[in-house]
Amino acid sequence: MPSLKDLKIQINSVGSTKKITSAMKMVAASKLRRSQEKAEASRPYSSRLEEMLFSLSKSSLSGEGVIKLLTGSGKKENYLIIPVTADRGLCGGFNSSINRDTAKYIRQLEKDGKSVKLITIGKKSRDFFNRIMKDKIEESFFDLGSKGVNYDIALKISDKIQNLFFENKFDVCILIYNKFISAITQEVAHQQIIPLEFKENKKDLSQESKDISIYTYEPDEESILKNLLPKNVSIQIFKILLESNAGEQGARMAAMDNATRNAGEMIDNLTLKYNRTRQAFITKELIEIISGAESV
Amino acid sequence: MENFIAFDLVSPETLIFSDEVGLIIVPGEDGDIGVLPGHSKVISSLRPGRVLVYGKDKNLLKSFFVSGGFVEINPNKCIVLGEEVFVISDLNKDNLKKQLDNIEKDKSEKKLEEHNKINLMIKAIDAEYYLKI
Repeated sequence: MPSLKDLKIQINSVGSTKKITSAMKMVAASKLRRSQEKAEASRPYSSRLEEMLFSLSKSSLSGEGVIKLLTGSGKKENYLIIPVTADRGLCGGFNSSINRDTAKYIRQLEKDGKSVKLITIGKKSRDFFNRIMKDKIEESFFDLGSKGVNYDIALKISDKIQNLFFENKFDVCILIYNKFISAITQEVAHQQIIPLEFKENKKDLSQESKDISIYTYEPDEESILKNLLPKNVSIQIFKILLESNAGEQGARMAAMDNATRNAGEMIDNLTLKYNRTRQAFITKELIEIISGAESV
Repeated sequence: MENFIAFDLVSPETLIFSDEVGLIIVPGEDGDIGVLPGHSKVISSLRPGRVLVYGKDKNLLKSFFVSGGFVEINPNKCIVLGEEVFVISDLNKDNLKKQLDNIEKDKSEKKLEEHNKINLMIKAIDAEYYLKI
């Protein structure tokens, strides 16, 4: 049986863990609010951009250079996969689900005879893929979360992707990230950013197309498209980073809430055990005294 | 016809300005575009320069510097998607000049772009100054 002192130490240590987890929960909750606001604030830009892009994409331009971001390189042989994780752990299955899904997807692609390259975002995916497929990693980006996501980072990542694309290093680029569904649920999602895919529903689009046809383009459609396409890549990445960041905070909040609750339960159990042990000791001592007195 | 037009100025990070205004001047790729209520529908890309926002009685409300982006103009709404957006009155000429000096040491192509941008920003501050007197 553990001694009373051991139990006391155990109770105290669980107590201090509980304090830490509940503090982390609070921090995550306030960060979640902030990153949600940020995600909200970026929405007008990305939705406008998408609308413009959609109307332009229908003018069916073909050609070399930047237009390829829209049409693709005509092949589907080389894939660039970008798993987006957090820099830090203690957020439940947030990082591991991305890593697991990415690894599975890569194996699937390789089975189909495609070649795969990786750009990792976040320290957790960097560490994971450094262990299992180091040779595939083109570049790793991390330290995004410390000051909150900003557009410059998204720009850097998109520059890297576009450089690789125009060097013909890959044909298809897919980001794998945690889609923010609610504060406590995230879902692993794949988004293809090169070549571009439109996901809006059809009803909206037919409405839009009637409106958009009367626009005057200045200087002309093609040169606007040339500006718009690279921008769209960085905006998509920015959007995904924001969403992933919000998801991370949400996941951390939920994980820490669970941990706090578990610690509370553990303390209750340990306290019960402590009291029982204490009583047992007292009883034992009493019996010793009584039996000692009887034998005299 | 109405004497105002809804105007939104958004950067990738946030919505910067949203109100009903009288006139907006945006630096279009092929030249400045003055947007009055009832303007025909135009989509244009922007060159780095000043976005000037005038109130309903044509007084200057606010001026911004955009480093590029797009504008979508409708008869009753104008939206500017700026790449980087600064409020000109928040910019500090001395700081910008310092940045310029730092950049001058590095002569790569990327820096050249940055260099031009900051030069234009300084010009915009100057222009702002003359506009006020």
